[in-house]
Amino acid sequence: MIIRPRLSDFKVICLYTGKVIIGVGLLMLIPLATALCFGEWNPAIEFLIGIGACLVFGLGMEASCQTRRDLNWSHGLVVASFSWFVATALGAIPHWLSGHFGSYLDAMFDVMSGYTTTGMFLLQDLDHISHGLNMWRHILTYAGGQGIIVIALTFLFRGTAGAYKVYVGEGKDERLLPNVIQTARAIWLVSLIYLIVGSLALWIAGLWLGQGYVRGGLHAVWIFMAGWSTGGFAPQSYNTLYYHSLVYEMICAIIFIGGSFNFALHWAVWTGDKSEIRKNIEMISFFITVTLAMLIATAGLMALDVYPDTMALFRKMFYQVASGHTTTGFSTIYSRTFVRQWGPLAMLGVTLAMAIGASACSTGGGFKGIRMGIIFKALLQDVRRMISPESAWVTAKWHHITTRVLDDQTVRTAMLIVLSYIGIYTLGTLVGVYYGYDLVEALFDSVSAGSNTGLSCGVVSPSMPVPMKIVYIFEMWAGRLEFMSVFALMGYIVALLRGK
Amino acid sequence: MGNHGYSMMIRIHGATARMTGFFIAVALLLSILSGTARSQPPGHRIGVNPAYPVPAGETPAGIEVNSSTLVENANLWNGRIVAFKGEAIGECMVRGKMAWLHLNDDAYMERNIEEGAVLGGYNGGHAVWVSAELAQKIRFFGDFKHEGDIARVTGAFNAACREHGGDMDIHASSLEIIRPGHPVRHAVNMQRGMITALLFVIAALLYGIRRIAVRRRI
Repeated sequence: MIIRPRLSDFKVICLYTGKVIIGVGLLMLIPLATALCFGEWNPAIEFLIGIGACLVFGLGMEASCQTRRDLNWSHGLVVASFSWFVATALGAIPHWLSGHFGSYLDAMFDVMSGYTTTGMFLLQDLDHISHGLNMWRHILTYAGGQGIIVIALTFLFRGTAGAYKVYVGEGKDERLLPNVIQTARAIWLVSLIYLIVGSLALWIAGLWLGQGYVRGGLHAVWIFMAGWSTGGFAPQSYNTLYYHSLVYEMICAIIFIGGSFNFALHWAVWTGDKSEIRKNIEMISFFITVTLAMLIATAGLMALDVYPDTMALFRKMFYQVASGHTTTGFSTIYSRTFVRQWGPLAMLGVTLAMAIGASACSTGGGFKGIRMGIIFKALLQDVRRMISPESAWVTAKWHHITTRVLDDQTVRTAMLIVLSYIGIYTLGTLVGVYYGYDLVEALFDSVSAGSNTGLSCGVVSPSMPVPMKIVYIFEMWAGRLEFMSVFALMGYIVALLRGK
Repeated sequence: MGNHGYSMMIRIHGATARMTGFFIAVALLLSILSGTARSQPPGHRIGVNPAYPVPAGETPAGIEVNSSTLVENANLWNGRIVAFKGEAIGECMVRGKMAWLHLNDDAYMERNIEEGAVLGGYNGGHAVWVSAELAQKIRFFGDFKHEGDIARVTGAFNAACREHGGDMDIHASSLEIIRPGHPVRHAVNMQRGMITALLFVIAALLYGIRRIAVRRRI
C-alpha cells in the first residue's frame, strides 16, 4: 500500500528547500558585486530581482513551514531533487532578463547545465554578455560542482541530524570527517585553496599570452571554476580554443583532471596518505579507460589523416578525450569539427570516455570509475569461479580509501546506476534520432548531457526542438543527482496522487 | 631473500604482467581499428557538405567565405587563400611580432543583442593570426559595452594548422577596417528597479513573519 505524504512531511521538505533557495539567492551577491564593480547597472538590477525572488520564496517557505521534525531518508532525497529544480527555475531569472535567451526554458536549460556542471548552453551572443552574467554562469557551475546542498550545509544548516540525508541526496556519500557539516566545510576548504592557486596560475599564463590584467584575471577565475567543477563553460564562444596556447591547455587539463577525482581521494592525499593515488580503484579504472578511449580516438584521427603531425594529433586528441572523460566539456576545436573532420570512430572514442566519466563524489558525472572498477572485478570474479573447483571459495577485493571484500549488494547497486545511465543516454539518443539527427551525433550529445560533460557536435542549439531541450534538462538533472533523488521525488508525486 | 621480499617480487611481476597484457591488448585493438580504417583512402570518407560552398579549380584566391563554410568543408578549403570579414571580439593577444584576433561573422556582427538586435543563434567566427602591427588597426573589440570594429582579412586558411598545434585558423597577410566599432549605451531600466524594490519589501515582511513563527515553535 502506498502511503500518502502528510502535511508534516511537506512542511519539513519545504522548510529545508527554502533554506537551500536562500543560499542560492545569497550566491547571487557575487555576480551582483561584479556587475556593480564594472558599472553594469542593468545586470545589477537583474541580479537584485533574482535575489529578491529567492528570498521571497525561501523566507515564505520558512515562515509557513516551521516544524520540529527532522529529515528522514525520503525527505532528504526529495529535498535534494526538489531544491535543484526550484534553484534552476529561480536561478534562471537573471539569465532570462539579460535578453540573451529565446525562451525561459532556454534560460533554465543553461542554469541546469551550470548547476549540474554540464556546460552545454543555449545562450545567444555569448561574446557580448556582461561580466556579471559571466560571473553568474561560472559561479553556478562552481557551486553546482561542490553541490548547492553542500553550500547550504556549510552556511545555513545548524546541527541537524538529517543533514547527511540531504547530502547523500545530492549524489555524494563520502564522509571525510565524522560530522557531515564538517565534511561539507572540508570540501569547500579544499576547493577554495585550489581556486586561489589555480586562478593565479591561469592569470600569469594569460598575462604571458597577451591578455590584460583585468580580463586575464576574470578569465582565470572563470576558467578555473569551470575546469575544477568539470563544468566546461567559458567566457568566450571559442571556449578554450580562444587562448591558442599549449601552456594554458596544460594548466586547464591539470585543473579538470584534479577536479574529476574523488573528494575522499583529495582528502586522503591532503592528510598525508599519498599511496592512495596508486591503490585507489577509481584511479586504476580511470587510467585504463582513458587509455582505451584515447586509442580509439587516435585510430579514428589517424585513419582520416586529420592532423598534420603527431604532436598536433596528440595535443588535440588528448585534450578533447581527457575533457570528455573527466566530463568537463572544455574544447579546443569547433563543435562541428567532430562531425566534419574527426569522423564517427574518433567521436565514438570521445562518447565512450564521456559515458564512463569521472570519479564518484567528485564534481564529475557519468558511470564513474568506481562502478566500472567494481563491475569489472565482479566479471573477473565470476570467470574465476567458473574455472575454479566447485569447492573453491573465490573472493575479490577492491580498494577505495579502505580495502573491502566485493559483495553482491555492491555489484548490484553499481549495476543499477550504470543501467540507469544507459537508460537516459538511450532516451536522449532516441529522441534525437526521432527529430532527424544522425545516430552518432544524437548519441554523442545525449551522452554528453546525461554524463554532465557538455561537449557538443552541433546537435544542441537554440533552434533544437523543445521536447529535446526538456529531455536534455532531465538527463542533466537525473545524471547529476545519480537518479535516486529524482526517483524519490517521482515516488512522492505518485504517493500524493494514489496514496491512502 | 626472505619471504617478504619473495612475495613482493611476485606482486611486482604480477603487476608487470598485467600491464604488459593490457598494452598488448590495446595495441591489438589499435591495429585492428586503424587497419580497418586504412583499407579506405584517407580523407575521402567525410563527404562534402553540399549546403555550403566548396572551392573548385577556378575559384580565385582571396574569395570571401564565411566561418560556417570553412568549418563545414574544412578539408576542401585547407591551404587556400581566402578573405574573411567579421567583428573583432574579446581582445588582441600579442605574441611577439604576431597577434591573435577573433573575428565573428555571426548575426551580431553589425549590431549585438545589447544594442537591441534580434536573437540569431550562437556566435560564429574564426581565429586570425596576423602581424601585431596590422592588429593594432583595431580600436574597438566587441563585448558587453562595445560593438567591435568590423575587419576584413585575407590570408591562408588552415583546417589544422601545423604551426599552432592543429588549431583551425587563418594566417592573414592583410587587414582593413570595414566599419569602426563604438561604445554601447545602456539606459537603466527603471521599471525593473521598481520590481526589485517591491520584492525586497515583501521579503522584509516575510522575514518578520518567519521570526514570529520561529519564536512560537521554540
